[in-house]
Amino acid sequence: MNAARPATAPRVVRLCLWCVVAVVVEVGLYLSYRGHDARFHWFTHFFVGSAVALVVMSVVALRTRRPVPVPLVWLLVGHLFAMLPDLAFTSGHVAHQTWMDVFLGHVSSHFVPGRNVTWYLVFLAATACYLVVLDRLRPRQ
Amino acid sequence: MSTWLAVAGGLGLLLVLAAAAKGPLDDADPAYQRPGILDLGELPVPAPTVAQGLPAPGRAAVVFFVRPDQLKPLCDALQGIELHRQPDLAVVVAGSFGPCNAEATVVADPHARLADSYGLRAPQGGGAPAGYAVVDGVGMIRYRTLDPEVTDLLDEVETILRAT
Repeated sequence: MNAARPATAPRVVRLCLWCVVAVVVEVGLYLSYRGHDARFHWFTHFFVGSAVALVVMSVVALRTRRPVPVPLVWLLVGHLFAMLPDLAFTSGHVAHQTWMDVFLGHVSSHFVPGRNVTWYLVFLAATACYLVVLDRLRPRQ
Repeated sequence: MSTWLAVAGGLGLLLVLAAAAKGPLDDADPAYQRPGILDLGELPVPAPTVAQGLPAPGRAAVVFFVRPDQLKPLCDALQGIELHRQPDLAVVVAGSFGPCNAEATVVADPHARLADSYGLRAPQGGGAPAGYAVVDGVGMIRYRTLDPEVTDLLDEVETILRAT
């Protein structure tokens, strides 16, 4: 029992550091939008990108038989991929075009019935999927 | 597992708070506010005349729709600004108006009929919409949105003009 402590403590610290990094970057992404946009677009792309990331995480965890490392970073990467056209819009004066749906439905995802509530439910379902996978991987007594 | 549930619950709470923070001049459906893409929905459609010679053939135009109290800040922001393609500028005011120190045509539209003819959506709080429409060189509306903060977001107008 005591022998496990030195190995566990640094791992927890490392995980928390990644949590802090992910949260700080997400706050930065939220602030990169302005006004009304922040309240709508950030949520859409976060939910879509994170849901896709959670599904990928579930598949990877099932194949490797262990939880993915630094899970919040996976969500962050999914979110960043989904919102790339917005970064191009704000920093490069590039207006949206329909082909930008390759970024996880960047344009059309805003127009699904139910809007962000729908994507929140999808995000919850993907989270539940990942938690079920984690539960299956847990060693049984 | 409890961490994941807390994150999911926290995000749901934030979503509710964010939805409640919408202002009266915002679009009731946020998907249509500042969508950032040309020719959304039924666009492009021909642009109605705002004033004589505006929009003019061969020239892009930006038609702003504002409440009377928004006119001065917008005119101040437009003064000296050089937008891509040097479009003609029009400011449609939903009421009476004072002087505008920008190079723009200002017209009164107290009953928001012009805003209706441009197809601007009604704001959540009712009344005349605040936003803008971008018209291309052949007189077609390519972009229209509610944007009560357009005075601070003229770089977005620039981005849309570059795309037309």
